[in-house]
Amino acid sequence: MNRNLTDDCLDLLQSQHAAGRIDRRTFLVGLALLGGASAIGGRFAQAADKQLVVTNWGGDAVDAFQKALTGTYASERAVDVKINGSGPTKGAMKAQFESGAVSWDVCDADPGATKSLGELGMIEPIDYGVVDRDQVQPGFAYEFSVANYFLSYVIAYDAKKFGDNPPTSWADFWDVEKFPGKRSLYKWMSGCMEAALLADGVPADKLYPLDEDRAIRKLEALKPHVLSYWDSGAESQQLMRDGEVSMALMWHTRANLVEQDTGGDVRWTYAQGILAPSGWAVIKGNPSGRAAAMDFISYCQDPQRQIELLRALGCGAANPKAHDLVPADLKPLDCSSAENVARQVLMDMDWYAARSDKALDKYLAMIAS
Amino acid sequence: MAIISKPPLSPIGMQIMLWALPALLVLAYVLPFAGVALRSVTRPAPGLENYVRIVASPDLRMILYRTVLICGVSTILTVPLAYILAYYWVMGRAVTSRLMEICIFLPFWISVLVRAFGWMVILRNNGLASDLATFLGLPAEMLATGRSANSVVIGMVHFMVPFAVLPMASVMRKIDHRVLLAANGLGAAAPYVFWRVFLPMSAPGIYSALSVSFILSLGFFVTPMVLGGGRVTMIAEAVFVQMFQTANWGLGSALGIILMLFVLAVLWLVRSVVKLDQSVSR
Amino acid sequence: MLGKSRFGIVVAGVVGLFLLLPLVAVVPFSFTAKRFLSLPGGEYSLRHYWALLDTDTWLASIGTSFLIAIVSSIVATVLATTFALGIWLLRPRLAGIVTGLVLLPIVVPPVTSAVSIYFLLAQIGLLDTIPGVIIGHVVVTVPFAVVAIMATLNRMDRTLDQAARILGASPFQSIGLVILPNIRFGLFTAWFISLVMSWEESSVTLFISGVNVTTLPKRMWDNLRLDLDPAIAAISVLMTLLTALVIILRGSRQQG
Repeated sequence: MNRNLTDDCLDLLQSQHAAGRIDRRTFLVGLALLGGASAIGGRFAQAADKQLVVTNWGGDAVDAFQKALTGTYASERAVDVKINGSGPTKGAMKAQFESGAVSWDVCDADPGATKSLGELGMIEPIDYGVVDRDQVQPGFAYEFSVANYFLSYVIAYDAKKFGDNPPTSWADFWDVEKFPGKRSLYKWMSGCMEAALLADGVPADKLYPLDEDRAIRKLEALKPHVLSYWDSGAESQQLMRDGEVSMALMWHTRANLVEQDTGGDVRWTYAQGILAPSGWAVIKGNPSGRAAAMDFISYCQDPQRQIELLRALGCGAANPKAHDLVPADLKPLDCSSAENVARQVLMDMDWYAARSDKALDKYLAMIAS
Repeated sequence: MAIISKPPLSPIGMQIMLWALPALLVLAYVLPFAGVALRSVTRPAPGLENYVRIVASPDLRMILYRTVLICGVSTILTVPLAYILAYYWVMGRAVTSRLMEICIFLPFWISVLVRAFGWMVILRNNGLASDLATFLGLPAEMLATGRSANSVVIGMVHFMVPFAVLPMASVMRKIDHRVLLAANGLGAAAPYVFWRVFLPMSAPGIYSALSVSFILSLGFFVTPMVLGGGRVTMIAEAVFVQMFQTANWGLGSALGIILMLFVLAVLWLVRSVVKLDQSVSR
Repeated sequence: MLGKSRFGIVVAGVVGLFLLLPLVAVVPFSFTAKRFLSLPGGEYSLRHYWALLDTDTWLASIGTSFLIAIVSSIVATVLATTFALGIWLLRPRLAGIVTGLVLLPIVVPPVTSAVSIYFLLAQIGLLDTIPGVIIGHVVVTVPFAVVAIMATLNRMDRTLDQAARILGASPFQSIGLVILPNIRFGLFTAWFISLVMSWEESSVTLFISGVNVTTLPKRMWDNLRLDLDPAIAAISVLMTLLTALVIILRGSRQQG
């Protein structure tokens, strides 16, 4: 259709040009316009077909999702799947809803954030008629989101400096005497408050509800040594890879990629890692509709696909049936397997649902001041 | 005379020509802007809550203060550097002038993103600057400012120098060379002619360069985000964060309005200073 | 004077190098063989230049940006021209205020404009669409086109128009046959400025585009923030080369 239109226009332009009715410049401008139009024409054509927009956290996660989930889904369901890596933070999802122009279908979001947005009526409840509750680790099939994988906020460190005597706790992370060098923390707070309190000596089982002011004080103390509050996973990778910081709080998925990229010069540990589920969520008014989104979510529950995602990005499986199928070489990466869970602290999503707005304000103020 | 047979453009046609653009801007710009102003006093609740918060909360005050400080420092660094470039562009010999022109216009036409990226690879820790410092036997921190306010200032100065050159160069071009020759002829030494004749005559260019740089810098968004490592939050970034990350649209709008009022205040101030200067020199 | 002092020349040279430095610094990074941003370290590769030819990402963005820049610069130039002619010919009493209104987007910080345009487009459902981005670009570039055209008009001799009218030309004929040909350089400048500004526009575009429309600056921004893969170095090098080429060609044409 589009192709024909372009060709027709070209013919018209050429005949007009030949007849001397338009001068060379008009002809060239016309050509340029058509060139531009056909370059994006393909995209318009796709947009007219069925399309599903999956939003995640960008960088390597885009390729990984493509490889493990959306590539096969697109061909099996004849849907054009786009992955948008701009990061579905709570505010970004809220802005999507309130602008009245939702462009994301499925978000790889934080279950705490989706819970509080869901209570405001901004999120579609998960349709457990389509999505299978039994294919989710017990306790992680929420009303407004369903766990799609697990990740851990871990300590990544420069093994060239600390390889012989690696850090084993957040107290070590805060100890710039024993472990000299710059640090990096997450700009959007998740995991950082917990790390600060654990470093300050709060026992893991007494962590929640978080003592926000105590955490902020502890974070404030480290601030002179924090080179950068990373905003995207790729940024945290770059900071560690280039040795700009000697330790960072990172997602274990990204820490693992840096370890591969640097041939082991950067390593990471599950010690006191903060284990968190990530969840699929659907904003009310998503362009493809609720049913299409739920179909995609249930598609991703398949154990084999969960292992593909683990292989591609290191995401811990959310389907308990997957853990046994994980090949031996990937076992250490599977953060939600029983043996790895034992070394970590579980993040409390209910606390995030209730408190994260106020706490994030405090946290951002601490960074900006 | 086929031309004459065409209908003349009626006065109404002329009016349409004139008002098409203002009408479009009222619809697509002024009204939405009024909407922003309205949101700043109605979201989340009617009242001046957002403005009170900006004034009262130490972190937002800190952002305003930091914005003014960084913009001030960058402006003060930009203008002398730009002055020297403008001077040799206008007054230098053909080759010098041509080289200056390339140095000014190449970055001028290039995207702020490319330029911020360039500084990022230079300034970051373990980047090119620290390699150079190590090579010269200096401590790395001397040249590699990493992700910090200093890097933001460097990136901003780099962005603004070409913009500051243009108004100064255009004033310099208008300076009557005979005045300079006359001063020379009357036995004034070259430095004296420069400091007492050329510099004062180019002052209007300096004023407009100062104001252009400062106003441009207030709106900076990309450079601080790329070079500041998330720690050097300036007001434009704060607007972005409030709009898209914390979804406080009222506060974001209020910050945008404050920024604009500030720019208008600076413009007004510049105008008064220039007027004052003119009346004094008369 | 300053011109004769060797010290001054050296300082100017250093400042000039300072301006070129970041443009040159990215060059080696674009030839790395690794998948992430790094110096080549003896292993050179063009893979990141090839990556720019990917039709789903970089090439599509170049096409999008090109289309938006062409359309919005033409619209901006036409609107600016009719407006400037209207002011010049009619000399309305409100000329000062109306011109002030039209030039407003120059003064208003881009981020404030961006928020306004974001709400406008969200309201009329054009957020993240090509027409929406074109509207945004026209609004922020048109004042510069107006300035360029008005500056040229002001230098034009009014008697030319009057002479044409006395000879019996209608206002329209006078515009078409006398005024426009006389200000064609101003028109070209206006169009060129709007074209380049739209091509590079980042502050407003970042607010109003997302998934469906990804202009080149938007893609570069996402890359800087989310990927930091060396394709950004490659596109930077190409854009610098293109700009340098235009400047040098323009310069030699002026001299020739």
